[in-house]
Amino acid sequence: MKQRPLVLQSLLVALFVAYMILPIIATYIFSIATKWDITLMPEGYTLEWYQTAFDHPYFSITLTNSFIVSIAAVLVGLLFIVPTTYWVHTRVPSAKPLLDLLMILPFGIPAVVLALALIRVYAFPPFARSPFLLISACVIFSMPFMYRPVSNSLMAIDVHTLTESALSLGANTLQILLRVIAPNILPGILSGSLLVFATVFAEFTLANLITGASFKTFPILLVEFTRRDGRIAAALSVISFTVAWLASIAILWGSGRGRKPTEEALGAR
Amino acid sequence: MMSFTRIPRKTWSNWLGVAPFLAFCLAFEIVPVLLLLSGSFSDKQGAFSLGNYAKISAPIYVRSFWNSIQISAITAILGAILGLLIGYAIFRLPSPRVREALIALSDVTTNFAGAPLAFAFIVILGSNGVVTLAFEKYFALKLYPAFSIYSYSGLVLAYLYFQLPLMILLIIPAFAGLRREWWESAHNLGANTFQYWRRIALPILTPSLIAGIVLLFANAFGAYATAWTLGGSNITLATIQIAFTITGEVLHDPGAGDALAVVSLLIMGVCIAIYQFANSRARRWAR
Repeated sequence: MKQRPLVLQSLLVALFVAYMILPIIATYIFSIATKWDITLMPEGYTLEWYQTAFDHPYFSITLTNSFIVSIAAVLVGLLFIVPTTYWVHTRVPSAKPLLDLLMILPFGIPAVVLALALIRVYAFPPFARSPFLLISACVIFSMPFMYRPVSNSLMAIDVHTLTESALSLGANTLQILLRVIAPNILPGILSGSLLVFATVFAEFTLANLITGASFKTFPILLVEFTRRDGRIAAALSVISFTVAWLASIAILWGSGRGRKPTEEALGAR
Repeated sequence: MMSFTRIPRKTWSNWLGVAPFLAFCLAFEIVPVLLLLSGSFSDKQGAFSLGNYAKISAPIYVRSFWNSIQISAITAILGAILGLLIGYAIFRLPSPRVREALIALSDVTTNFAGAPLAFAFIVILGSNGVVTLAFEKYFALKLYPAFSIYSYSGLVLAYLYFQLPLMILLIIPAFAGLRREWWESAHNLGANTFQYWRRIALPILTPSLIAGIVLLFANAFGAYATAWTLGGSNITLATIQIAFTITGEVLHDPGAGDALAVVSLLIMGVCIAIYQFANSRARRWAR
């Protein structure tokens, strides 16, 4: 095929990169700027906004809460989704379409609708407005992110031969899963866990509607500050972006080549 | 020779292994959504009623759906067209390393939706934002009050931030599916570049393009955090109205919330169905 004019092509790509990077960079700079509302570049630099954010009583509470919910969602995902995916791949292939359907459903249910449905059903204690309900909602919402990399990894290895060899040697299912399958699909498990962690950590809608003020998460604090104090909001946004970047870099690092970005993009929202 | 153990295939007992996960999905997803559905058709005493659907014919709710559909359609179509062009530019880059890096960038940024992203857009495009100031200084162009990041026009820009990379990730594999031989055959038969695109490439890309547009539409329709952070109650969207019935910030009827949620689910369901169908069409050309 003829090479398109390189200038036009490069310009298009450059504009795209600028659009993707500029808001993030500007937020990083804004978070350390003394004053930045008249001049093109900040008038000076300071770490005061971070200090104020760290000193805020809700800072460590919300950060801890977000870590609790994210790690719990990852653990439940590891406990439920990884064994189920393995089991379906080897023992009940006829359940694969059902599993695929269950993993598409969360994309069709907006977070506000999931929150509303759960609040209606679990309106009684100890479930009502509890962190437990929030974690369950986050697991449902993020399960495709765990499922896809794990399922792709299982398809990439000869899971049947591995299972049958281990069975021949007398291993039970738990041993096979932990000592044979898990090490072989570790990149998929890690990538799924990081994706779940990053999405749940940044999740605002479910947290705000299900637990709200009774169990505030980091994004809730961030949204409160966007209305009250932009400097603090910038510092909190930077922390949020940094967590997302670190998780993404770890995913790219860990899974390396041979990964199909589109497969995961189907899960992105 | 070693005895070889086959994986047992007694299906009914194997299904038990799927039971815990199915129970979890039933308890926290399927049953609550079904109850929401049945609740939307009941009145306060639990008798069958279409009253909740009559309530959402109120102008505020109709407008919220219309706004949601408009924002979703605009950002889906803009995202698809721009994503197609940028995706092709990335796909045709001579350096595989740069191409990989840009795909990785799209991969990361498409997950950057929500509150921090919305705030980042306030930083650059708020009334004192750096881009707003730059436009004023270098192009003598005052963005405000015609444009505002806190309004629907701002929402379009912020949504495109996660729509564009999603489209790029969806369309690049479709470009990769266009085989060189097709271009060569068309060229040998006397087709020019325009004819090749018009008659061969675009028809093959169409299912991927449609799949992309409906996925982007659904993506925008279900979004809440970005819009809520930017506009708060100034922006009337279906998701924001549903959230109001939960938080009770404005006097809203819970029954109306159920009906709004069911209509939203219906719209999302249609999108996902079209997406699945178009995607299966697109895969026919996959190598």
